[in-house]
Order: sequence, then C-alpha cells, then structure tokens
Amino acid sequence: MSGLRLAPPTEADFPSRLRSPSVTSRVGLWLGISFGLCFLTGLISHYAQNPTQPIPFPTSPSWGYRLTQGIHVVAGTAAVPLLLVKLWSVYPLLFRRPPREVRRLVLDGLERASIAVLVAAAIFQLATGLMNAAQWYPWGFSFRSSHYALAWVAIGSLVVHVAVKLPMIRSALGADVEASDNDRPTAVAPGALSRRGLLRTTWLAAGVAALAVAGGTVPLLRKVSLFAVRDGEGPQGLPVNKTAAAARITDEMVGADYRLEIVRGDQRVSLTREDLVAMTQRTESLPIACVEGWSAGAQWTGVRVRDLLDLVEAPAGAEVEVTSLQPSGPFRRTILQGNFADDERTLVALALNGQALNRDHGEPARLIAPNRPGVLQTKWLARLEVAL
Amino acid sequence: MTRTRIGLGATGVVIGGYGAFLFLSRGREHLEVLMWLAAGVALHDGVLAVAVLALAAVAFRVVPEVARAPVAVGFVVLGTLTLVALPVLGRFGERADNPTLLPRDYTAAWVLVAALTLVAVLAASFIRARRR
Repeated sequence: MSGLRLAPPTEADFPSRLRSPSVTSRVGLWLGISFGLCFLTGLISHYAQNPTQPIPFPTSPSWGYRLTQGIHVVAGTAAVPLLLVKLWSVYPLLFRRPPREVRRLVLDGLERASIAVLVAAAIFQLATGLMNAAQWYPWGFSFRSSHYALAWVAIGSLVVHVAVKLPMIRSALGADVEASDNDRPTAVAPGALSRRGLLRTTWLAAGVAALAVAGGTVPLLRKVSLFAVRDGEGPQGLPVNKTAAAARITDEMVGADYRLEIVRGDQRVSLTREDLVAMTQRTESLPIACVEGWSAGAQWTGVRVRDLLDLVEAPAGAEVEVTSLQPSGPFRRTILQGNFADDERTLVALALNGQALNRDHGEPARLIAPNRPGVLQTKWLARLEVAL
Repeated sequence: MTRTRIGLGATGVVIGGYGAFLFLSRGREHLEVLMWLAAGVALHDGVLAVAVLALAAVAFRVVPEVARAPVAVGFVVLGTLTLVALPVLGRFGERADNPTLLPRDYTAAWVLVAALTLVAVLAASFIRARRR
C-alpha cells in the first residue's frame, strides 16, 4: 500500500506468499468436489421434477431425495468459503499485464473470458441458491430454469479451467504446500498465517458454514444449525412450505361440500372425506423433502392411491394427473408417474402424526409418496385423473 | 498430458455450450440474468475483495503481531459465515402467514457466534503471547 495513487494495482502490489497456486489448487480441489456434488444432486432434483421421465425415477429408497437434496444445499453452502478463499488467492492475477505477442494475447484473452464465465456462474449459483433456500426472490426470472442452465455453464467452464490449469494443478498438488516453484516472483512476504494455517482455516470455515445450515435436514443438528431456514417444527410437528392462506384455500373449498374426484375417461367416482375415512386406512413413515433443502420425517395415515385407482379400474402403470384445490400456482396440476401411483406407500393422506391433517398441511386430503420432491406432494387434493 | 487437456477442454466447451443453449432456449428474462451474473463478479472483484484488502491493511497496523493469526482465522470463519447467513439475517423471504419459515432469531444467533469467535480469538492470542 503506497498511499493514494490513481493507477490500477499491479501483481507486485500483492506480495503475500499465501496467494499461491499451492493454496489455490488445494482449495480448488475441494471446491471442485463440492460443485460436482451440487451438479449431480441438482441433476437428480431437476429430473425428479420433470413431468415426463423416460427412465422412471425410482420410488425407493423413500429417503433418497431427502438425502440428495440435503447434500445439494449443504455442499453448496460449504462452497461459499471455499470459493471466496480461492478467489482471494488468485485476485492479483486480475491485474496481470496482458502479453504483447498477438498469439499469446489471444490465448490470454480466451482464458480470462473462460474464467469470467466460471466466476460469474459460480457466484450466481451460490447466491441464488442460498436466496432460494430462504424463499427470497428479488428477481423476475425463473429460478429453476436459470439455476439449471447456469449449472451446466458453471461445470463446463470449470472443466475448461481444469484443462487450462492442469500442468499447474498437478505440479502444485504434487509438491509440498510450502513449496514456491509455481509462485509469482513477487509473492514472497509471509502472511498472518502459514499456508497450512490458511488451508485449515478454510476447511474450518467450510465446516462451520455446512453445520450452520445442515440442521434444516439432519434431525440431530436441528438445535446446532443456527442459520437453518427451518427447525423441523410446525403444526403437527412438521414445517409448512406454503400455507393454505398463501394458496388461497377457503373454508368452503374444504368444508362439507368437499369431494375428491377419481376420474378415468367416462368413469368418475366422487368421494367425501367420510367416504375416504371409511376405506382401508394405511400408515406410512415418509419424509417431506423440499427442493429448498429442508426435510423432516412424518407418519401419514390415509388411503392407498392404488386402492382409489382401482375404483375406476385404472390399469397398472397408468400415469395420474393430480389437481389441487388451489386456484393457481405452478404446481396446481402435476403428474404422478405410474411407478409412484402403483407404489403401495403412496397415499392420499388424511392424517399426519396421528391427527387429522392441519389446514396448512393439506386438509382434508393430500398426496404423499416416497422419494419425491416436496413441491409434487400435492396438498388440498381435488382430483386424480388417470391418463388414457 | 496435451491430449488429456484437449479432451477435457473440448468436453468443457460442450457442457458449457449446452448450458448456454438451455439458457437461451428455455428461460426468459435473459437480460436480467446477465445483469445478475455481471453484478456478482462486480460485487466480488470491486467491493468485497477491495473491502477485505482495506480491512487487512487496517488490521496489519492495529492488531499486535501475536494476535494476527487468530484474528485472520476468526475473520475468515465469521466473515464467510455472515455472507452465507445474509438471506436469513435480512429475513427477506419472511411471510406473516408462515411462522415455520425462518423460525429463529437469526440476529441473536449471529451475535452469539460473533461473541464466541471473539472469545476464541482473544483466548488464542493470550495463549500465544504467554508462550513467547
């Protein structure tokens, strides 16, 4: 720091030997692993929400989506400290002089462009992901389609980045952490920490960030995770994603006139809540696992969906269109794939943890199926229509 | 290694290109997404990184040498945790009809974590000073 100066800094203005490829590559390795986990679990989540699934999404294990989406959010959260330390370690390169020779200048420009894409996509993914988990949407674009498209951009530019840096990465990871072979010539000043110290601090920060949110999905950490968006509590012992008021469900809709329609072509069965209660009741332990990463287990009691489909003689494997009483919303009408409709654990639930469903949990009847994103566990069921 | 690198690079371009195709063909509001992308980089490179540099420069003058390492550790852990917690600290997604969303007093939680960090930094500095 040489007092006030209007010229931009140069690499030489960053003399700390902590800003070294030795640190960058080690943090980058774990950042790559966490982005990889986010990408794979994100692909699973995206596919699970697709109405058409050429390869049926499995119904077992019932906690599968709970696990993958929990990993998605925890790994993404842990990536925040990793990304920030990694960017800190390479910040001086932003000010490196462009080469003079034309061919090298072009290559340098291409590399910078690929890194700009990578950094922009990485920050976008982590920021919008964290905001989405807290249901904060200060934007007009679709979160799902943008987060999905930019996941491919982030991973693609990450792979390009690894290809460009491969010799450096191999050399740095193969050498001792304090080795200075790959360092910038001016990065020689000792920092506040040793390189090992900085790396341990980074792992600590990533661990603390993960722990701070993991309780949204891991019951044992409910009280530890001070910054989780849910604490596992709510009416009847379960958090609520969208309330009846927010979905504009009125007393009339769920009162004495309520009917659940089961439809297949011309065949139509109309059932009151009493009719449903009079049918064989089953109890299943199934989690609600939200796309926002929180989840909680619960015990559901109600009628097996397959028993209801038998009333209209639906063939095995038939797809079912599920409609909610809610007047609008992207998940008002969803598809229950044949393997989910036929699974004996899939219920039209009337009770939760031993009590008649709370209005916010979908009174009088809701869908609950194993291994399925929470947004597709339709509440305030109006109609099950078998696809022909 | 050259072959590996070319193969990797080509794979990356294809994956990223598919992302660009998805972005352009499916989403709407492209301009707004691009603005968010650019804003993220600008906020990091132009605001956050500069603020960290300034804080480090101040800390270098103010903090006694023996406490620098503990202060650096505390800063990285608490600073990154605070950024992670911003959406819940601001309670931007809060809804009056749904008390199960953002159920905690996150500000109190942050004060607790900051106090714990401060105690740990002071304790570590004290122990280091006594060892000398």
